[in-house]
Amino acid sequence: MSVVTVENLHKHYGDPRQGSGQGSGRGVKAVDGISFEIQQGEIFGLLGPNGAGKTTTINVLCTYTEPTVGQVTVVGHSVTAEPEAVKRAIGVVPQDIALYPDLNAVENLRFFGRMYDVPRARLEQRIADLLELVGLTEHAGKRVEHYSGGMKRRLNLAVGLLSEPRFLMLDEPTVGVDPQSRNAIFENIQALNRQGLTILYTTHYMEEAELLCHRVAIMDEGRIIALDTPQRLIKTLGTGLIHVGVKDVNEAMLARLRALPQVKDVTRRDNALAFETMDAQRALLDIIGLFNEMDTPMTSLEILEPNLESVFIQLTGKQLRD
Amino acid sequence: MKKLLYITLNELLLLVKDRMAAVWMIILPLAMTTIMGLVFGGFGGGSEAVVIDLPVVDQDGGEMAAVVLDILSQTENLQVETAYDEETARQLVADGQRAGAIVIPSSFSAAMTSGQPTALELIVAPGGQTTPLLEGMVRGVTNGFSNVQTTVEVAISEVQRAISGYDPSTNSGQHLDYEGIAERAVATALERLDDPPVRTQVTTVSGTEEEEFDIFDQMVPGYAVMFAMFAVLSAAGGILEEKERGTFKRLFISPIPRWSLLGGKLLAQFLMGVGQIALMFLFGALVFHVQLGNSLVGLSLITLATCWATTSLGILLVSVIRSRKQIHPITTLIILGSSAIGGSWYPLFMMPRAVQQVARVTLVAWAMEGYNRLMILGGSLADVWADIGVLVLYGVICFTVGLRLFQFKEA
Repeated sequence: MSVVTVENLHKHYGDPRQGSGQGSGRGVKAVDGISFEIQQGEIFGLLGPNGAGKTTTINVLCTYTEPTVGQVTVVGHSVTAEPEAVKRAIGVVPQDIALYPDLNAVENLRFFGRMYDVPRARLEQRIADLLELVGLTEHAGKRVEHYSGGMKRRLNLAVGLLSEPRFLMLDEPTVGVDPQSRNAIFENIQALNRQGLTILYTTHYMEEAELLCHRVAIMDEGRIIALDTPQRLIKTLGTGLIHVGVKDVNEAMLARLRALPQVKDVTRRDNALAFETMDAQRALLDIIGLFNEMDTPMTSLEILEPNLESVFIQLTGKQLRD
Repeated sequence: MKKLLYITLNELLLLVKDRMAAVWMIILPLAMTTIMGLVFGGFGGGSEAVVIDLPVVDQDGGEMAAVVLDILSQTENLQVETAYDEETARQLVADGQRAGAIVIPSSFSAAMTSGQPTALELIVAPGGQTTPLLEGMVRGVTNGFSNVQTTVEVAISEVQRAISGYDPSTNSGQHLDYEGIAERAVATALERLDDPPVRTQVTTVSGTEEEEFDIFDQMVPGYAVMFAMFAVLSAAGGILEEKERGTFKRLFISPIPRWSLLGGKLLAQFLMGVGQIALMFLFGALVFHVQLGNSLVGLSLITLATCWATTSLGILLVSVIRSRKQIHPITTLIILGSSAIGGSWYPLFMMPRAVQQVARVTLVAWAMEGYNRLMILGGSLADVWADIGVLVLYGVICFTVGLRLFQFKEA
């Protein structure tokens, strides 16, 4: 059963004919025709660099931004036609630390709990449970402005859970946090998911997506360029990716490289060749041998582990953190 | 409605927790009012540069009245206006368009020539910082006339005394007692100092005798309005801060009606303004014995209307200005500019005529006119309905335009 359906979603700012992509002129296509579904009980990841369109997608899903084109339903309600029903069903943990720094944790939770209509009789218990969940019980009376970055992130998560949502969206929830807090957040997310909560998780950290997400959509420049389970996406790389820097390679050499037995494919980008391999170790020996044989110098050599970052690099030629 | 009140309470809680806000809202306004009041309390600071338009109503039309007009016309800092009748002159003062007016009574010349006591009436707006200056000028004129009249009186009595004892057959005029005449003339003149024959009668526009005016009667409402604007517009700027911090978005995507979200914040701002003005008036009344006037209802309504207009101006500003960095200098400029020309620091009638006209576009001018009428002129609620009406209308216009332009969500 789908908790979220997104069909052909476009979100444009300004006049997109005057430019496309983030920061390329007055018009921006922040999201450019994406479609996906999120199933009940799933942790679905949106992975991509800054400016890929992840936050804009979340903003549409939580009714904060109107789609330019496209159909979006959340928990069976259209985000444009029934925004109030959507708001009641979701929890959002925004990328910003959306808390009042002058208030303490309890005061923040109490205020937002009232905004979400948490019954007064249950609110105090709910606050205590959430503080326990995110490990802030001992710091409950301390002003948020005196919290560490990680503590603020954990409280940010707790506020998103106040309403006991059916669908939780987390937008880059681990940016700027210490490893201890990051692990605590991961554990919280996995525990919530085990209880049946459906989660949308955006990040530009590929290891987080690999660790947490059942399925991942890789986004770049407003488009989804790959969507599958992390394992299947990584498998497309075989055992590894090899990048070789070159000054000049002719077509004959390229054809011989493609014909190497351990090489699945070779892609040429500017002054570099990207090799998808079946066995990176063996392929590497063959590649070096051929370069020597053809007396062609290498300017750099890099073996990339098979992971989601490598998938992204393979698909876009860019680093995920660009 | 419940959520609206929760949002209001949260805003007030944030205010209480913000230590800098306490400085801005309590300590600074009280300190500023006290310091400025004490500095300007002695009066006289820059008055030389002011040219005061002064209506003079000549009901006498006689020779002595012409002398009065001549003396006043030659007085530096005064621009004598003779075109008004008493009612118009009184109204000009009541409206704050003139600092004062002089009435020369119909019997003035006759009284002067017959040695009878008489007086020039100086009608003033008691709130005017120029009142002592005007009073001094008019007293200078009446003292001069008193001296003349005293001299004439002494001369006549001595001539009569000399004539009564004069015997032409013995030519006793040679026995005139010149030293005795001088002593009697001085004694008479000294008597007249206590009870001069030509007096200055100072009255307020309402016709009562002038009460002693305290500079704090002007300063307290002036600074109350200014600091209320600082409090309210600063809180309005807080909406932009919340937008940048992300809490406004968090509230928007929670199940709260838009009117509750914005209404809760505006109600808090409105209450901050009312609290600020109430605190200033309480302080002024307790410490400086500021006169709160005869109509507490009128005072309350002017305060509510002023805060409504300021709150609405705030929502208009945060709708037009979308960056927190921009809003602080702009609101500061608006507050200080409108306070300067609107009568918070000096009464409106001390400003050049053109500035007085421009000041009418500021809410401060209407608020101060209302406060001055109630607190200084002793007016009633009926006297400030127009000011209340304009402030309410001002608020309605700003609120309507501001709400139309306000961005709740991302475009």
